[in-house]
Amino acid sequence: MHILATEGLTQRFPTVTALDQLSVTVEAGVTGLVGANGAGKSTLIKILLGLLPQTAGRAEVLGLDVVTHGPQIRALVGYMPEHDCLPPDVSATELVVHLAQISGLPRTAARERAADVLRHVGLYEERYRAIGGYSTGMKQRVKLAQALVHDPQLVFLDEPTNGLDPQGRDEMLTLIRRIGTEFGISVLVTSHLLGELERVCDHVIVIDGGRLLRSSAITEFTQSTQILTVEVEEGAEPLAARLTELGQSVTAHGRGLLVQVDGPETYDTIRDAVCDLDLCLIRLEQGRQRIEDVFRV
Amino acid sequence: MSEIYDIGYRHYEGPRLGRAHAVRALITQNLRSIFGLGRRARSKLMPFLLAASMLLLPVVSIAMMAMLGRNDIGYTNYPVIMQAVIAIFLASQSPTITAPDLRFKVLPLYLSRPVSTLDYVAAKVVAMATALFALVALPLTVMYAGELLVDPPGPPHTKEYVAGLVTALLLALLLSTFGLALASFTPRRGLGVASVIAVYLLASAVSTVLFATFESMGRADVAQWAWLVNPFFLVDSVQSWLFGTTPANGYTYPAGVFSALLLAALLGLSLTAFILRYRKAASR
Repeated sequence: MHILATEGLTQRFPTVTALDQLSVTVEAGVTGLVGANGAGKSTLIKILLGLLPQTAGRAEVLGLDVVTHGPQIRALVGYMPEHDCLPPDVSATELVVHLAQISGLPRTAARERAADVLRHVGLYEERYRAIGGYSTGMKQRVKLAQALVHDPQLVFLDEPTNGLDPQGRDEMLTLIRRIGTEFGISVLVTSHLLGELERVCDHVIVIDGGRLLRSSAITEFTQSTQILTVEVEEGAEPLAARLTELGQSVTAHGRGLLVQVDGPETYDTIRDAVCDLDLCLIRLEQGRQRIEDVFRV
Repeated sequence: MSEIYDIGYRHYEGPRLGRAHAVRALITQNLRSIFGLGRRARSKLMPFLLAASMLLLPVVSIAMMAMLGRNDIGYTNYPVIMQAVIAIFLASQSPTITAPDLRFKVLPLYLSRPVSTLDYVAAKVVAMATALFALVALPLTVMYAGELLVDPPGPPHTKEYVAGLVTALLLALLLSTFGLALASFTPRRGLGVASVIAVYLLASAVSTVLFATFESMGRADVAQWAWLVNPFFLVDSVQSWLFGTTPANGYTYPAGVFSALLLAALLGLSLTAFILRYRKAASR
């Protein structure tokens, strides 16, 4: 079942065309929406929430038309905005309880859900303190908690890793993966960093200048582009020769070799070649920027 | 730490209430902001101090009634007498529900839920009007309860009390829309407070100066219009037209219909400005 679908979706502003004939469908699970700043990601989310009427085309979220069913969609969907949006003078608990009520939860249920969700995003005792004193990481968690508090079927997360340090980024990505799997809530997460989404997404949509560049399962992305870094103690050259002989595409890169992954058998070939040549294997690592490589080509 | 208490994610199966519930929650939240509830003690100081000072006059009136047996309580001129306190309350508390919203851009959190900009704005007006109404109606009610208890000579002033309540409601509606619209033009709280109080002082001064000028020129017919520049006298003139009460200014007002029309126009204008301001903020 599609959780959202757009058809010829176009959004023109007086000076720019933010979305241009965008047709895309998204299935349940975690979907990444990638594009440079200004590619139209936030505009797309605004339209999907029914907050911005599109210039042309159609869009449906959870089977509901965005133009006619905005309020119903917003009751079933959670949204984590990109920018700072938290009032500093209230506590995380008070804010999240209040927003749960705005989403239609009765007061007691709102309290229970807020406590649950704040714990899930990793806010404990500090949730009773005023938000003004929180770190960026904690604020991002509060923003995520308010998007989840009414138990939506789908959440839109707009740049959730913005401004986080590497550890915070890791924790946020793990959390997003859990939302999609353990919590059973579909996720549409935007980022301008491709590599980041690769870890958590089942599917990636790439837009640029408001147009669809590509939409495919993460496995398709990585299979065709995966590069392995192979490093041996000595004898990189014989290994390269051997692998080329066995039909692998190999390029020398610094002290190591970059090997294009054609499928699972590539790993076996490398292992066998290293064994046959009696070499010491130091490193066999997946390339870091695999998805980016696709777009560079 | 988390593993010990982690019982996994639970879905919510309970009822989901509609828009009315959401709007009620918004009104409550705004009222809590206005009175500083759930916030630091410093935020509670101003609203409660002002509300307490509003009760001073009823307490004195009741005491006079009990000890001297006098029965000349001012139900109808009470807002005009206390106008400075009411204006300070409006100025200091209006920005508490407009400035943080605009300054910290919290609108996306609300608008991504099933409430509209109009619901959001209406909840603010209702909350501020409720607070102002309570500020004026509570002392009036205390006064009336005191009058019934002390039972001075003569019949109780039930008609004046009811007139006072209706006037309090009109005043609350006018002041809340006007104050909120004015305060919402700046995302800075201090500036909001200053602009509301400045407009009140200006209106009050202009009204007095115009009245004095025309009066000295012997143009009493023109001078009476000057009163309407001050919102408190404007509402008082509507009251004296509706209930036939004695004008609180000690003079006369122009025909009541004009005052009522002016009041309605001001209300409409302020409300429109306030809605447009939030529409603009929402579109960003």
